[in-house]
Amino acid sequence: MDLNALFIAIQQILSTHALLMLLLGTGLGIVVGAIPGLTGAMLIALTLPLTFYMTPFNAVVLLVSMYVGAISGGLITATLMRMPGTPAAVMTTFDGYPMARSGRPGRALGLGITASFVGGLIAWVVLLTITQPLSILATRFGPFEYFSLIMMAMVLIASVSEGSLVKGLISGLLGMLISMPGVDPASGMPRLTFDWYVLNGGLQLLPVLIGTFAVSQIIADALDIGKVSQNSRVDSRGVLMSLADLRRHAVNMIRSSFIGTWIGILPGIGASIGSVVAYTAAKNISKTPEEFGKGSEEGIIASEAANNATVGGALIPLIAMGIPGSVIDAILIGALTIHSIQPGPTLFLTNADIVWGIIATCLLANIVMWLMMTSSVRYIAKLIYLPRSYVLPVVIVFCVVGSYALNNTMFDIWVMLGFGVIGFLLERAKIPLGPFVIGFVLAPLGEEKLRSGLMMTAGDITPMFTRPFSLAFTLAAVVLLVWPLYNDWRRRRANA
Amino acid sequence: MLRFRYLLSAMAAAMLIATTGTVQAEWPEKPIKLIVPFKAGGSSDQMGRVVQAGIKESEALPHPVTIVNVGGHYSIGARRVMEAKPDGYNFLLIHLALMGGQGSGALDFGWKDFAPVASVGEFCLMPMVRKDSGIDSLEQLLDQAKDKPDSLIFGANLGAINHMGGLMLQETTPGAKFRFVQIGGGTANYTALTGAQTAVTVLSGAEVTKFTRLPDGSENPDSQIKPLAYTGSERFSGLPDVPTTQELGYDVNFCIKSWFFAPKDTPQEAIDGFAAAIEKATQTDTYQDYLVKNGFANGIVTGEEMLEELQATWDRIEPIARLAAQK
Repeated sequence: MDLNALFIAIQQILSTHALLMLLLGTGLGIVVGAIPGLTGAMLIALTLPLTFYMTPFNAVVLLVSMYVGAISGGLITATLMRMPGTPAAVMTTFDGYPMARSGRPGRALGLGITASFVGGLIAWVVLLTITQPLSILATRFGPFEYFSLIMMAMVLIASVSEGSLVKGLISGLLGMLISMPGVDPASGMPRLTFDWYVLNGGLQLLPVLIGTFAVSQIIADALDIGKVSQNSRVDSRGVLMSLADLRRHAVNMIRSSFIGTWIGILPGIGASIGSVVAYTAAKNISKTPEEFGKGSEEGIIASEAANNATVGGALIPLIAMGIPGSVIDAILIGALTIHSIQPGPTLFLTNADIVWGIIATCLLANIVMWLMMTSSVRYIAKLIYLPRSYVLPVVIVFCVVGSYALNNTMFDIWVMLGFGVIGFLLERAKIPLGPFVIGFVLAPLGEEKLRSGLMMTAGDITPMFTRPFSLAFTLAAVVLLVWPLYNDWRRRRANA
Repeated sequence: MLRFRYLLSAMAAAMLIATTGTVQAEWPEKPIKLIVPFKAGGSSDQMGRVVQAGIKESEALPHPVTIVNVGGHYSIGARRVMEAKPDGYNFLLIHLALMGGQGSGALDFGWKDFAPVASVGEFCLMPMVRKDSGIDSLEQLLDQAKDKPDSLIFGANLGAINHMGGLMLQETTPGAKFRFVQIGGGTANYTALTGAQTAVTVLSGAEVTKFTRLPDGSENPDSQIKPLAYTGSERFSGLPDVPTTQELGYDVNFCIKSWFFAPKDTPQEAIDGFAAAIEKATQTDTYQDYLVKNGFANGIVTGEEMLEELQATWDRIEPIARLAAQK
């Protein structure tokens, strides 16, 4: 751990343009996170093309602070409208909204904001301490370790994402399938392009992401544009938590933060799952589990501490191994590669300033988020009532511009629109989009690692089962895949 | 009254434009589009932007050069220029990958489908091994590849420049054979070699400096890899102790340049004009600083001379590219 480098990075952010990026990113993140229908993934995917014109350092500061802001902003809408501003805030609706309805909206928001802040800080400490050791360990990882780790990540996201395991797997496999056209990593020759040269480079991440996350959401929002939600009025009473409150909730806050961090570290799954697990744990441990779902303070705290903690946690495998810890991290990887920065074990060596920039931003953005949210939550809350008929057309314009800007080809715009429809249809069929994107991002990486491993051993796959780390990941993947199926089968037998 | 004066000056300005317009009825009349068939931020993109800045700085052209990055596979942008109107306002910046793709059969077009404009910014490669490998010279490396063929693992991006570089070294010693494994670009190969997953790779001079030297230029004691030779005709200025392959008695010259092309049938006036502008750009401090920072060699080749250079490169690369595709 190189604290000196951290201080240099903090200083660099505070004394340059990066400060503007930090404030802008966190603020925009909170607002977009708060507006239902606009998600953090969408904001970051749409901002990505703008970062081409920035230094890599400023780009990561902007994107990471958006990430922190968006996860936090979701709690405002969740509490006031019972609509999660971001998917990560679903659990917050259960208790935040009832509490707000019972006349304590300020208190409900205050608990959420402070829990978010604490969750972010605890995860940041973990990020600071274990990333570098983990990246050193990861230099010893060969292709088989990476391949088995990626397999584990894919099974993990399919099995724990919302909906059934089968639908998660379908989604993941679809994502893998559409990543196949392009250049074959083992021969350098184009494949599955159907002699259509625009496919030589494969389908690009950015238009696929903008399509599946932004356009599909716009289609869905446009279909029920007239929907009016229940509102609560906000005052600032109780937004600041007292010390006694903090002491009372300390155990829950710390536990939920660590759960969130750990879930964040696991490759492929992010904030939504972290908040579900922490909420469930808090409910099981609580002395008053019957209050959960009716306005429990513990519930708000568990959900919000955990979802913010996943941000810091998910950055750990991104920096140390180049594997995305969440969907937004998959987009961040895209941002780094656009700036010719290869995330992975050598990042500390080749681009130390970027790594420390990410880590410093993670800390500063949490502080900025807390200050902004406590001081201006009342005004931000008004924004969520912006008519969507004004917001959506602006967003679709950004979608088109953003998709075109990356490669300057019309083809990418068609890809974006096409995946908008596909994403919309998948959601309608209750097929989660998370595994789809992770499959799309991880399959090429996994294929390349497997094939280079096989080239090294002249076609022998046994090292996958004889190298200890590789064996452990493979076994974990098998267990994760079989366990839910077994459970399902047992439950059905018990019912019969 | 005031309004009238504005009108008058506007008319005067319009007349001025009209007269200079007739004088300048020659190339260029509008901004020039330079397609870089790679993402923004890559090394080719940087080269394009430095030349763009140099042209602006030296005022070599009355209109700006606009860079259009066409991402995805490089063949997409290259094809777009090939099929563009040969009006003198479309140009392409590409490198050896074009010949690699043509030679391996991945592309159904090639360098001969373009009109050459200029070639600049040469860099060459260094074969790298681990310090604890027991291999101290290029000769030992190739002997080992010959004594135990297909056992030394060579990290490369298959079909790309580092793969062709490795094949070219291997072909100097009859019977020598590396086992080429897909690893990726410079950073990925540095990681794999440091982690002893691979035994040998090639890196550019600038990459070797970055990975094995401290910022003050002294050797980084933590680095576990070392260069054996340089594939240029002269030693690499950043690491003058490393001998060239030709000094060591191997007939290998494997260097990569940035090539500017135009669509076939582009007016000669536009080709010469753009080549002259690029040449002026190479004389600016911006460009020269960039060369030093990236370990590129100075110099510019145009016209007939460039055509000969391309032909010579093609003669060397084609068999290697075909070999690369067989794996």
